Amino acid sequence: MIFRFEKMIPLPLLEQDTEGSEVWEAESLLLEQGKAYVVEAASGRGKTSLLSVMYGIRKDYRGEVFLDNRNINSFGWKDWSVLRKTKLSFIFQGLELFDDLTAQENIQLKNRITDHVTRQRIVELAQAMDMEPYLHRKAGILSFGQQQRVAIIRALVQPFDFLLADECFSHMDKENTLKAYHLIRQECDDRKAGLVLTSLNETALPDIDVKLNL
Amino acid sequence: MKLLYQILWKDHSRTHLLFAFLGTLAGFVLLLSGIQFYIDIKSVLSENRDLLDPEYIVINKQVNLGQTLGLSRAGFSQEEIEEISQQDFADQVAPFLSNEFPVSGYTENERFPDFYTELFFEAIPDEFIDVKSEQWVWDEEEGKIPVIIPQDYLNLYNFGFAPSQGLPQIPKGVLSMINFRIRLQGRGMYDDYDGQIVGFSNRIHSILVPLDFLTWANEKYGYFEKSNPSQLIVVSKDPTDPSIIRFLEEKGYDTIREKLKSSRMNIILKLIISFLVVVAAIIIGLAFLVFLLSLQLMISRSSDKIRRLNKLGFHFREISKPYVLLLLALMAAVTAFSLIITSLLAGKFHTMAQEWSLNTSPSLHGLLFGVALGLIALISMANITAILISTKKLCK
Repeated sequence: MIFRFEKMIPLPLLEQDTEGSEVWEAESLLLEQGKAYVVEAASGRGKTSLLSVMYGIRKDYRGEVFLDNRNINSFGWKDWSVLRKTKLSFIFQGLELFDDLTAQENIQLKNRITDHVTRQRIVELAQAMDMEPYLHRKAGILSFGQQQRVAIIRALVQPFDFLLADECFSHMDKENTLKAYHLIRQECDDRKAGLVLTSLNETALPDIDVKLNL
Repeated sequence: MKLLYQILWKDHSRTHLLFAFLGTLAGFVLLLSGIQFYIDIKSVLSENRDLLDPEYIVINKQVNLGQTLGLSRAGFSQEEIEEISQQDFADQVAPFLSNEFPVSGYTENERFPDFYTELFFEAIPDEFIDVKSEQWVWDEEEGKIPVIIPQDYLNLYNFGFAPSQGLPQIPKGVLSMINFRIRLQGRGMYDDYDGQIVGFSNRIHSILVPLDFLTWANEKYGYFEKSNPSQLIVVSKDPTDPSIIRFLEEKGYDTIREKLKSSRMNIILKLIISFLVVVAAIIIGLAFLVFLLSLQLMISRSSDKIRRLNKLGFHFREISKPYVLLLLALMAAVTAFSLIITSLLAGKFHTMAQEWSLNTSPSLHGLLFGVALGLIALISMANITAILISTKKLCK
């Protein structure tokens, strides 16, 4: 799976100075499956917008985006629904958890769409991020860092070719960040998936294939 | 997806849905029982009619001043007779035949005071006459004219005229034994015949003679200008048919209204039922709106969650499911409860009606199931469409 951007820029960014951006100023940009990308920039430079366009929840952009040579603006709600279930996974900056559901239920909600992993596997993933004791707590009462980890696990319980992670370590310490990062890399490698990770550039992450400055 | 339902059902407003449910239920019960009782009462009306003969309605035109002054005569033209016989309520139509020559009757009997009167005769086919008598035959050789007079004429004499004039009352049997003479005259000749009263009619208010006699006599003596029949007799198998009264009123025809009581009742019944149906329709309409609005409110309260679910990969059809299911469950409950309540009411009505020895159906008519299911399907479809539209709006 390959994303190709051709002079794509979200409309709100047109009014900003985007000089030197390796994404918005690029004639053509390829994001390939199997590679790990980190998009680094300060706030307000369009990190979330980039991922949102790739995920089909933002359509206000200039230029063109192709997914495997198909222009993504030709995709309908059915296409996007299938993509989000089986090809693209997203760790939202705003997490998008349901506060009333427990951590485990939040994860199951996603898992049951495809029944991708077993209950046991969810527990293992939680253990890998020290979250097992919190699985039965309501998501609303967990700390933001813990919620981030729930959101990460949720993103991993589906098949995907690309994982889009939007500042998903922002409220974790270095130790937890690296634990989570390794888990994510492991899961991506297992699926031979691509990873697009946005970050404010706090913790240096190892084994990045391409670094892009927005 | 139990979790999906758990998330989306959380935002319902119990009171809104309850009121919508109760309103729809009330409307349905009103509508269904209206239809049930309408069918019942209609069948009771037609059952009673079966006990009687088919109704014989004698109609005539209303007499107006022009006719009094001799400018025109209140007769039925051939086209008018044709038109009446084409009406649904009219199974058979026959015109009254009148004498076209002067007729008079007198007595020649020592035991009775002398009596002379000018007469008129009318004739209709035998099958329209309620008196069956062996003597009701015309034989030219024998020269005896059988006559049927209205029962009312005899009553008028016996209970009105005779007591006031000091005359004896005459029983039916005796009157039948009186021989009197009938003089037919015309075309420069006259002949006297024996006449005999052979019966008394409750149906036809006229002096009747056999049709073949009058046809023969008109041919022999008749010299009046041929005129249109002034009365028609109509046989109607369904006198409850409200179109009879409507037709007669529209045309300005007259009849004895008493006979059309059931037709009139039917009109009143229909009015009451239409009123019920209109009220029921308004209630159902309002309840439908409350349903629509409560579901829309529920969806808009959950709009954040719906957007979130959409981001997780659910598409709007999956997201609509909990709402559709909730709607269908409520609609099924409305159908079931309204049919149960209506059938309880029908049972009560049945017991009450039995006390008046009226036969109504103790169970629901099949039509009700059709009406209930049809309406529910309609309301559900409109609501489901609205649900799909508003969830789709929230999804990308």
